[in-house]
Amino acid sequence: MRIVMLLLCFFATLPALAAEEILPFSDPKQQALFRELTHELRCPKCQNQNIADSNAVVAVDMRKKTYELVQQGQNKTQVIEYMKLRYGDFVHYQPPLQLSTIWLWLLPALLVLGMGVFVVRKNNQQQQLVNEEVSSKLDAELQAMIDAVAVKPNSTDKSVAAEKSSAEDKPA
Amino acid sequence: MRKLLFFIPFALFIGLSMFLFSGLFSDPRQHGSALVERQLPQFQLPDLMQPNKLLTADELKGEPYFLNVWGTWCPTCNAELAFLTQLRQQGVRIVGLYYVQPLDAAFGERFDLPALQQDVQQKLAGQGDPYQFNLLDQHRTLIFDLGVSGAPETFLVDADGVIRAHHVGDINPQNWPPLAEAYQKLVRK
Repeated sequence: MRIVMLLLCFFATLPALAAEEILPFSDPKQQALFRELTHELRCPKCQNQNIADSNAVVAVDMRKKTYELVQQGQNKTQVIEYMKLRYGDFVHYQPPLQLSTIWLWLLPALLVLGMGVFVVRKNNQQQQLVNEEVSSKLDAELQAMIDAVAVKPNSTDKSVAAEKSSAEDKPA
Repeated sequence: MRKLLFFIPFALFIGLSMFLFSGLFSDPRQHGSALVERQLPQFQLPDLMQPNKLLTADELKGEPYFLNVWGTWCPTCNAELAFLTQLRQQGVRIVGLYYVQPLDAAFGERFDLPALQQDVQQKLAGQGDPYQFNLLDQHRTLIFDLGVSGAPETFLVDADGVIRAHHVGDINPQNWPPLAEAYQKLVRK
């Protein structure tokens, strides 16, 4: 029983799939092109739908025209140019590369570049800090060893030793 | 130098906010027309009221005019009829391009010319008639070539048949001044 219900549910959704217009094509390549085009061309009326998705009059007309042009054997760029000539660059979801749209490509590249520079500089800075820390530590150790060796013979002369150690405290 | 770096994210944030804020007030329907500064596309369409009379693009040349795309089914078009009629009385030349709206484009079109003529006559008698005449574009061929996405839309065409402006939406006293200026410039030429 459950299986029957499940099957019924499955078939109940079939008419929704069939709602898309059925247009006869003799060439499966043209059919694929038509599909591709209607998904890439944008409806000028309902602006966030492609023409395959929209049932506005203008979208229906554009689908018809696309079908007609594809049947005539026009290729993808030709059909898109035909539409752009009438409805502007707006009608294709892929914007053309020109002076006003160059930022669409430049901005992300600049952003990545900027972040790269930032990360590299930050890394260098940190490395430098670590290096300084290590080297100052080493300096101190070295100085201590030198002192240990150098001060010994004159250990009786206290004033000289004190003077020397105070001078050593200053950073090099 | 360090302080300057500190302000960069803030400056970016302000810039982005301003860009997005200005977007709130832009009209998404105004996205530039592909038709401006081009010749009116060739066509051969009948006069709505005298279907035997065929008109072409060349026959409309001679003086500048507004080509107004409209239909009785379109409420915004009906709303602008009164104002357009005022303009006609001031001597502005307006030609109608009748947009035939199919009942349901997906199920084919039923077309009844006498009923449409009657409908148009009634509408124009009631609201005012701004048109010199109306072109009947039953299959929306010229409408398609003009890149019209809905009604009302209006084109300003000069005496040589070159499109000078493409206005989407209704014409009203608020948005008329720049169109009037462009029209007067063409008339004076």
